[in-house]
Amino acid sequence: MPLKNKHMKTEVLEDYALEKRARQKGSLKKVGIIGAGTMGQDIAVIISKQGIDVVFIDLTEERVKEIFNEISIRLDEIISKWGMTKSEKRAIISRITGSIDYNDISDCDLVIESINTKKAGTSRELRKNVFKKIESVVSRETILASNTSTMMISDLAEVLDYPDRAVGLHFITPAITVKIVEVVNGVKTSDKSYEFVVKFAKKIGKRPIIVHESPGNISTRLIATLINEACEILMEGIASTSCIDATMKKGYGMQFGPFEMADRIGLDKMVKWMENLHGEFGDQKFKPSPILKRLVRYGFYGKTSGSGFYRYESGLATTETITYPEIK
Amino acid sequence: MKIIVLNCGSSSIKYQLFDMDNEKVFAKGIVDKIGLHGSSITNERNDGDKVMLEGEIIDHQQGVEYILGVLLSKKHGSIGNFSEIDAIGHRVVHGGEKFSSSVFITDEVVKQMENYIDLAPLHNPPNLKGIYAMKELLPDLPQVGVFDTAFHQTMPSSAYMYAIPHSLYVKYGIRRYGFHGTSHRYVSTRACDIIGEKCTNSKIISCHLGNGASVAAIHNGKSVDTSMGLTPVEGLIMGTRTGDLDLGVLIYIMRREEISITEANTLINKHSGILGITGISSDMREVEEEAEKGNWRASLGLDMYYYRIRKYIGAYAAAMGGVDILIFTGGIGENSDLTRSEVCKDFEYLGLKFDVDKNKGVRGKEKVISADDSKVTVIIVPTNEELVIARDTRDIVSNMAK
Repeated sequence: MPLKNKHMKTEVLEDYALEKRARQKGSLKKVGIIGAGTMGQDIAVIISKQGIDVVFIDLTEERVKEIFNEISIRLDEIISKWGMTKSEKRAIISRITGSIDYNDISDCDLVIESINTKKAGTSRELRKNVFKKIESVVSRETILASNTSTMMISDLAEVLDYPDRAVGLHFITPAITVKIVEVVNGVKTSDKSYEFVVKFAKKIGKRPIIVHESPGNISTRLIATLINEACEILMEGIASTSCIDATMKKGYGMQFGPFEMADRIGLDKMVKWMENLHGEFGDQKFKPSPILKRLVRYGFYGKTSGSGFYRYESGLATTETITYPEIK
Repeated sequence: MKIIVLNCGSSSIKYQLFDMDNEKVFAKGIVDKIGLHGSSITNERNDGDKVMLEGEIIDHQQGVEYILGVLLSKKHGSIGNFSEIDAIGHRVVHGGEKFSSSVFITDEVVKQMENYIDLAPLHNPPNLKGIYAMKELLPDLPQVGVFDTAFHQTMPSSAYMYAIPHSLYVKYGIRRYGFHGTSHRYVSTRACDIIGEKCTNSKIISCHLGNGASVAAIHNGKSVDTSMGLTPVEGLIMGTRTGDLDLGVLIYIMRREEISITEANTLINKHSGILGITGISSDMREVEEEAEKGNWRASLGLDMYYYRIRKYIGAYAAAMGGVDILIFTGGIGENSDLTRSEVCKDFEYLGLKFDVDKNKGVRGKEKVISADDSKVTVIIVPTNEELVIARDTRDIVSNMAK
């Protein structure tokens, strides 16, 4: 690193730029994220890690502060597992800014909506409002993406003056380590917008999975049915939670069993996804299992709340919460 | 003939503009902290004009644009317009088995380099970024790639093969390649010039000690062994890399810490070496200071560092049946007199007589630091990879024109 010599002149770099036109060609310099819950934070980290500036919008100043703290803790966890260095953490955080003002995303090349969907009721109108608000501050060139998986990107794009700019971009938890992202083509999505997002996905180190618009894409539709069927097996008293998980993990090489996965995703979120899928397809297989709904009613949301299908201590599963019925 | 040499690292670009008619440097500089806060370019012209430009540099493409902007500028520039530049020479870290010498860069060559990203994931991508950027900005200009691995392609198979199933070599080209080849090539030739010996009749051990570090055995002008392998992790202890490590250790750590390949890779490349041992820094100067204050882990780090180098020197003397010249180069090799004197201890059995006084305080200068009657000449040769890249670029472009 060159040390600044007191005899050395210091000048402004911009004065030495070549033509501006060449400088800005096809570049992606800043990405906006609306809603910085766990997913929004992970997305921010992934993007910043690639050297792209990120600005996230959340509801209150206080929450913005908390979010930075949460990101810091998340990165410390990665460092403690040797996945990153302290200087890389500093660089990542230095490229992220937080705000409660939508005007701060006005110069973004891409804005990703990733609002929290856990609250009761449908988030469709909420997401539409976010899309409308984004469009009111950004330029015509800015691409709008939504991290929703069970809602149609075409429905959300309805409220836009330029629906051609809307693309579905679904990250899967834990987004930092999962190497794929679903890129969803809506009815009115332009080729240009779609290609932009595919290129962006590659740039942030993810393999873009090309998906034609359908509720739940690939990931949510398959995981929802798997978890529902696992609940059926449990309710019928055929096997215990941990035995079902072990079978899928050891037998089929899955990283997490269906119940571990449900706890990681969040049971409240699972129920919402399933309700959305059930609403779209009308098929009983998507109807959230009564056992899922019961757990949610008890406040057992999964890993984050300390209990779901398992009880958790320091992030590790200890005991099962459901003892299955046995015929004796 | 005017040639720009680019050495693109992950967050920096070093550059030099050469006048190859007389091998003089018109201007040189460094783009620093690319994609980070506080990015800058420092440009130094041969007439002493030196300036630091501060501002935002988002990526390598923009860094390269600013380099051209500065070199072309009226105030601090060295050229009137683009047409004065004849060629670009790039440092490329990994050339695999495909490249045993420097090459003119075609689409096919770029494709091959992309295939080698797996072999040098930290280095080849930024090298390629420099090539893409120049290709976009000055598409008609010839570009030449000079590979760190090329010089070591003369190693015999007994030195470059690993004791693993042969099918893995056939399938993936897994073997030892070595790095810092451009540096070892330059300093070995230069050392012979200074001493007045023929490179083709000498046994040289060259120690390139920088943040990355390697030793090479150069017999009659040809590399016959080197301490780095398929990747730059093998061999000496480095700033943040382990160097030689029992493979069982890595597997054990992965199992106990429940980490994946990605984390294991970061562990051996970024958390280990001098930084990992001492917990202080990867910077040798800071560790030397701490050791002086009595920090035992700093002392341990240094002892391990010297010992590993000495082991390699002994091994390579055995490999060549002796040693005539021992070279120190790289940031630490050129500047740390402590490192040089510690490494050269106890080599009297090889006929090496180290001159402590000659060594003391020498920084970044060509100098013989062994006693006049030493059988082994110990010499400091500051490396100049950029000059080698510029020379190779000139030769390749001139040959093409013929």
